Amino acid sequence: MVRFPFTHPEPEEPLLAARGITKRFPGVLALHRVDLDVKAGEIHAVLGQNGAGKTTLMNILFGLLQPDEGQLYFRGQRVHFRSPHDALAMGISMVHQTRKLVSAHSVLENILLGHPGTRGFLNLRTIRREVEELCHRYGFTVDLGAKVWQLSEGEKQWVEILKALYGGAKILILDEPTSVLTPPEVKTLMASLQALVQDHGVTVILVTHKLPIVTAISHTVTVLRSGTVVARLRTCEATEQLLVQHMIGQDISSYSISDLLVEKGRPLLRVEHLSAYNDKGVLSLRGVTFSLHEGEILGIAGVTGNGQEELVQVLAGLRPPASGRVLFDGRDVTWLSPLDRWRMGIGYIPAERYEIASVATLTLVENAALNFHFDPLFSRRGLFNHPGLEKVTRHILSHYRVKAPHLYAQARHLSGGNLQKLIVGRVLARKPKLLIAHLPTQGLDVEATAFLRGKLLEAKAGGAAVLLISEDLDEILSLSDWVAPIYEGRFVAILPREGADAETVGAMMAGLRREEAGVS
Amino acid sequence: MWELLVRSLEASTIFLLAALGELLNQRSGILNVGLEGLMLFGGTLAFIAAQTTGSYGLGFLAGLAIGGLLGLAHGFFSITMRGDQVVSGMGLWILSFGLTTYIGNPYTGPLGMPRIPSIFGLSPFVYLAFALVVAVWLLLYHTGLGLAIRSVGENPAAAEASGINVAITRYLCVVLGGMLAGLSGATYTLSYNPVWNYNFLMGWGFVSLALVFFSMWNPWILLVGALLFGMTWQLSLSPELLLPGILSRYVWRAVPFATTIVILALISTPWFRTRWGLAKPEALGQPYAKE
Repeated sequence: MVRFPFTHPEPEEPLLAARGITKRFPGVLALHRVDLDVKAGEIHAVLGQNGAGKTTLMNILFGLLQPDEGQLYFRGQRVHFRSPHDALAMGISMVHQTRKLVSAHSVLENILLGHPGTRGFLNLRTIRREVEELCHRYGFTVDLGAKVWQLSEGEKQWVEILKALYGGAKILILDEPTSVLTPPEVKTLMASLQALVQDHGVTVILVTHKLPIVTAISHTVTVLRSGTVVARLRTCEATEQLLVQHMIGQDISSYSISDLLVEKGRPLLRVEHLSAYNDKGVLSLRGVTFSLHEGEILGIAGVTGNGQEELVQVLAGLRPPASGRVLFDGRDVTWLSPLDRWRMGIGYIPAERYEIASVATLTLVENAALNFHFDPLFSRRGLFNHPGLEKVTRHILSHYRVKAPHLYAQARHLSGGNLQKLIVGRVLARKPKLLIAHLPTQGLDVEATAFLRGKLLEAKAGGAAVLLISEDLDEILSLSDWVAPIYEGRFVAILPREGADAETVGAMMAGLRREEAGVS
Repeated sequence: MWELLVRSLEASTIFLLAALGELLNQRSGILNVGLEGLMLFGGTLAFIAAQTTGSYGLGFLAGLAIGGLLGLAHGFFSITMRGDQVVSGMGLWILSFGLTTYIGNPYTGPLGMPRIPSIFGLSPFVYLAFALVVAVWLLLYHTGLGLAIRSVGENPAAAEASGINVAITRYLCVVLGGMLAGLSGATYTLSYNPVWNYNFLMGWGFVSLALVFFSMWNPWILLVGALLFGMTWQLSLSPELLLPGILSRYVWRAVPFATTIVILALISTPWFRTRWGLAKPEALGQPYAKE
């Protein structure tokens, strides 16, 4: 990866500056006296964990939110952004983490929406030519007539960037731009951002919690932690290690995963030609076959929407398969109910923490009981044994480092990381033989992620077979014994960990076959 | 035959004016099920104003004004207060039903003014309604404002992020839509059937509301639907104009409703259903709050 030399002469007036920004939400201090200096022609990374206040800060720069205290300066002039309209007028544009596109409209309509030149009648032919020229200049290829709902996530992001450029953006704010992209798409994005900055004089503010991207393309980094700026560095002077320490305020080497040596056990799970329909009636899981031994982790790597959801739900008994069968512990469990599967020792960590894995308005004890309710230990003659459940919950809270006010707090008051720890703890407390972990660390901060990954490895060391479904290639590669890239409902390959590198797996996640991905 | 055609075109005009307003509302994401109420109020106040001042112009002005005002009220409840749009719309209908019965009661009876002169045998409002179809189509699909309106109805958050003021765009649509509903009511009481009676509309507003859904939010399909319904509605009211003595008038009364059933059956086919789902403004009926 290219690292630019940092050649700005100091001191230089920042293009966009924030001074002493404070923002409160009910009960939370989201930002506390934050200063930010963005210089013209740089890629400025804003780094921080989830909940550090990155997105809030960006929304303030873009006029979506107003700060409670503090000022914004544009080219040294004090500015007030009452709405995005004001920010756009200054040439500040934002590509949000969640796509802000009208999916029923065409690409062209989305690009010209809100453009100042579209007052009165629209001359679509002229506008189309202008946008085509723009695409040509920046080297994008997008079908302008296509409806946005037909596009992939990566293409949608191009549309948003193109829209910003068509609107005359001089400062481009990108909020977690890589979260939904495949590895090849990430590479293209990074190259394009560099080209935009170098060749077209655009200034980029890149909000992310992914360190490799920061070190690869940014010039300057501002690190946020719990709403305050903890570091302001030139990227060339920073190491990933240092940045992590700033991000989480401590060294995480204590969490680092040691390679536990595990004896490979007997075969536990066998899945044969499994297919399933998705909610829209499309066959989205198309004949998956694999087997898994005790003490093994199979990592299924893929971008969401390639059949992982359906595979997991079929295995958990929540979705009927269209064909194929599932053998667990030598028994055909294809048509067993979820409860029977839990009893047989299958543990399931759903991807949707708040929607499926927990009931937001129930207490922690009740949520911990969700997986224990059938256990005679905890219910007598249909009544809950509260002391017993409290004991289990207390055990989970302490062993899984869940920060919670008290046992009877509602689940919705827990942060994503703490709730996930509770869920994982609840499942692992039953010592499952097979653990299905669907996006177990998605959206969690570095600390919780490292902790949970360690727990998965512990479970494996304890002899459990683990099926890990993740979009995070680093996670897959650091934990798995076997790696199976999934694309459009099929495993592209099942590779042993030693034979899988990020490039190959990344290419396979995008649908390239073995030969094309460079594996013989 | 000619007379029936003229009368049905005039009936279609009533449907078309109200439904065009509602279409504009819904394209911006606001559902106003109180359309009938807006029309009742517009028709009643237009009737009273015209009769007391003797001026058609003032009558229509009163209809437009009260329609716009009630649209504004609906906008206040659903945009600013972020209330339930169905509840607010129903409330407006019940309020209008009650109030117009009370206000209009002393005026029960014919208007007693010379008829509005027709142009080439047709009421001028027929031409106006047709022109408005073209105008709404041009507005929605060929202007920047129209793109903003459609985007606000599909994905207000995206529109906001593009620098569009969601609230103002929606207010504009509810007020314009309300004025068209008021105009539709005024056209009914001043031109189509210039006699005031309580609840004189008896469901015309609800038919207009349904037409918007049938039209898949497309003004041209709306025009076809309004013509079809104007025809069957008129036929059911005065079948003797076309086929004197054939079938009882009570059978003819059922024609619009039978037509509705046929259309509903068509709409419920999977082919139609997917297209309908795509055409439906995604944010229809949902209050929008800035993040």
